[in-house]
Amino acid sequence: MARLLDIGLDRVRNLIMDMAILARDSVNAALESYETGTMLRAQIFEYSEKLRVLQLEVADFTTELIARYQPVARDLRFIQSCMDIAYGFSRFGRYAYDIADVLETIGPIPDCDKSRVVDMAKTVKDMITLSVDSLKKLDKDTSKKLYMMDDSVDALYRSYLRLVLAPSKASYSYSEVRCFVSALLILRYLERISDHACYISDCVHYIVTADSSPRR
Amino acid sequence: MEELIREQEQEIGKPLEGIDKYKVVIRNINGWFGTKQALKNINLNVKEKTVAAFIGPSGCGKTTLIRCLNRMHEMTPGARIEGEVLVDGQDIYDRSMDPVIVKRRVGMVFQKPNPFPTMSIFDNVAAGLKLNGIKDKKLISEVVEEGLRGAALWDEVKNELEKPGMSLSGGQQQRLCIARALALQPEVLLMDEPTSALDPIASSKIEELVRVLKEHVTIIIVTHNMQQAARISDSTAFMYLGEMIEYGPTNQIFKNPEKELTERYISGIFG
Amino acid sequence: MNSDVTERGKNYRTLIHNQMKKKYRTRMAIDRIVSVVVIICLIAAIVPLVSILIEVVRNGIGVLSFQFLTQPQGSIVGGGGGIGPAIQGTIIVVGLASLIATPVGVLAGIYLSEFAGNGVFPWAVRFFNDMLTGLPSIVIGIVGYVTIVLAIGSFSVWAGALSLSIIMIPILVRVTEETLKIVPHSLREAGYALGLSKAKITMKIVLPTAKSGVLTGIVLGIARIAGETAPLIMTILGTSLFFSSLTGPVDALPLRIWRLASQPYESAHAFGWGAALVLIFMILGLNVALRLLAYKKGFAIRTEV
Repeated sequence: MARLLDIGLDRVRNLIMDMAILARDSVNAALESYETGTMLRAQIFEYSEKLRVLQLEVADFTTELIARYQPVARDLRFIQSCMDIAYGFSRFGRYAYDIADVLETIGPIPDCDKSRVVDMAKTVKDMITLSVDSLKKLDKDTSKKLYMMDDSVDALYRSYLRLVLAPSKASYSYSEVRCFVSALLILRYLERISDHACYISDCVHYIVTADSSPRR
Repeated sequence: MEELIREQEQEIGKPLEGIDKYKVVIRNINGWFGTKQALKNINLNVKEKTVAAFIGPSGCGKTTLIRCLNRMHEMTPGARIEGEVLVDGQDIYDRSMDPVIVKRRVGMVFQKPNPFPTMSIFDNVAAGLKLNGIKDKKLISEVVEEGLRGAALWDEVKNELEKPGMSLSGGQQQRLCIARALALQPEVLLMDEPTSALDPIASSKIEELVRVLKEHVTIIIVTHNMQQAARISDSTAFMYLGEMIEYGPTNQIFKNPEKELTERYISGIFG
Repeated sequence: MNSDVTERGKNYRTLIHNQMKKKYRTRMAIDRIVSVVVIICLIAAIVPLVSILIEVVRNGIGVLSFQFLTQPQGSIVGGGGGIGPAIQGTIIVVGLASLIATPVGVLAGIYLSEFAGNGVFPWAVRFFNDMLTGLPSIVIGIVGYVTIVLAIGSFSVWAGALSLSIIMIPILVRVTEETLKIVPHSLREAGYALGLSKAKITMKIVLPTAKSGVLTGIVLGIARIAGETAPLIMTILGTSLFFSSLTGPVDALPLRIWRLASQPYESAHAFGWGAALVLIFMILGLNVALRLLAYKKGFAIRTEV
């Protein structure tokens, strides 16, 4: 017979998975906006709002579960982590919204070299998928892979920054500035998304082993 | 005989290595009721002035174990015990130990409050002293007040000490029994499910009391309420079918137990 | 889906309710019949008791007077005097018997409850004790005659008191054992946990808790032996004189009543009724006095064992 707590845990799990899908979709939409120039701002805003509401619901509900059922051990670790993971997903939505905001402010940039961002975007999209999978399967070993990918994302960002700030490029044309600024801002947001994907896998590790972050 | 004395002297003079910081050491305890073995090879140590909790499903042996710690187990007809229980390095089951003296050093409080019905509040607390031959009235009244204060009952009854013990509420009666046990100045206090028969407010008063008491007394508590064990104990032992499955710091047992059986029990999956 | 009907189409709820309704009517009827029968039996039990009391009071009340209660018997024909010696004798013999029986009976009861196990000896003690409660009192009287009266050489208070105590002891043993058994075991455990010895726990904790029951037993015992006539015939003989010595004969109320009743004189019969009334009052008085005493001291004497 299922425990009363199990009913609650199932509900939290479903909320988190819903958030995972929304988060992934909103990041994908933002990146598509960048690559193809289509205006998806309204949709991304809607996703972001939904994620925010869901995050509040998760925060409320996990607190209620703790107060009612006084869970211990793994159950408690799971509930604690769900609070952090929900925050992580809401952040994805927020960053996606920020990317869309940048694109709207800067305006159409069809002639820019978008290869860097597209590269990083691919890695980050993979990272999102990996972290959500690790959450579904409660696989604690995904962290290692994600850290490596996070390191490469960091490296990409720094190298682009150095490139842009190289003294050889003394002055930029108006359109070049727009390209660099938009790319830099979006790369920054992508780098943050990659960090949060790592945090999510850290949470999964914590649920399974009771050890907090294995690195840092 | 001489050899035995020398051995004992050695033991008291030079405590066994590493054991000296423990107030109570339970070594290889096996207990029977007739032919049924109720305790299988129990080993655990309790540090001085800490609270140790025994948890486990009904019939796991936790009450039997606690009654072995003050030699009450052997009073049941057909009960038998093997092994050692060391209090401050001295085995209470040693043949030279007077069981009566053991009970004065290791006090006990029971599940259902059992104040003596024919005695007043004062006489109840003084019972252990008076009936053991102490006649100094001043000393007795001082110890009674001390005991009632220690049980957080003094303020409620100080003007009604002559009233019958049974006139108190359930929670107060249990604190009266605690005061009665404390009057004998025990070093270890055993509590067998002290709050099972009480309402939640009375229970939480007793829990607060335990937290204060442990500054002076080593406490071992049996409880079927896991949250209570998590709230008030420093170390927790999980028992199942007469065996001790796991014993460790309470934080660790409830956050990340080593044995899966322990995790299943504390998560409410069985028991 | 109609929740009243299960998968197989059976409506258990209605079926059961209907059946129960029928049973209900029969139950009510049986209930009433049984109540009536019980009340009839109650009346049948009380009526003799009440009628006896009424008879005794009616016939005896006229004889009561200070002289009646304190004077020895006057001339048989004349009808003067009273039953003074009988009252005095009853008090002495019953009192002495109680003093002998109480320690023996209560301590034996304590032994059986607290110290005895389930071995052969305790079993034998209980068995013979139960047998003793059923022993005809005349047999006890004869035994008393043979052992004490013949030994001392005269009918005596000792003989009467000892015989009566033999009747009282088994009652006390039974009652004491039962009341002590009712004392919850948790109290004894509390005592052990305080490091007290078994003797201390028994005498200072268990026995005081069972006080009311033991006292009830004593009252029951006294009430029983105060009315015994047969053993007294063989042991104290009865006399018209006041008490003189423990080794001499003495009078007692049951004996006096019997003697008075067997005489052919109307005045003697009247005295007999009076004596019966006095005896009943004395026992009643004892009951009431002890209950008052117990009430004052804060515990109750129960009417049943």
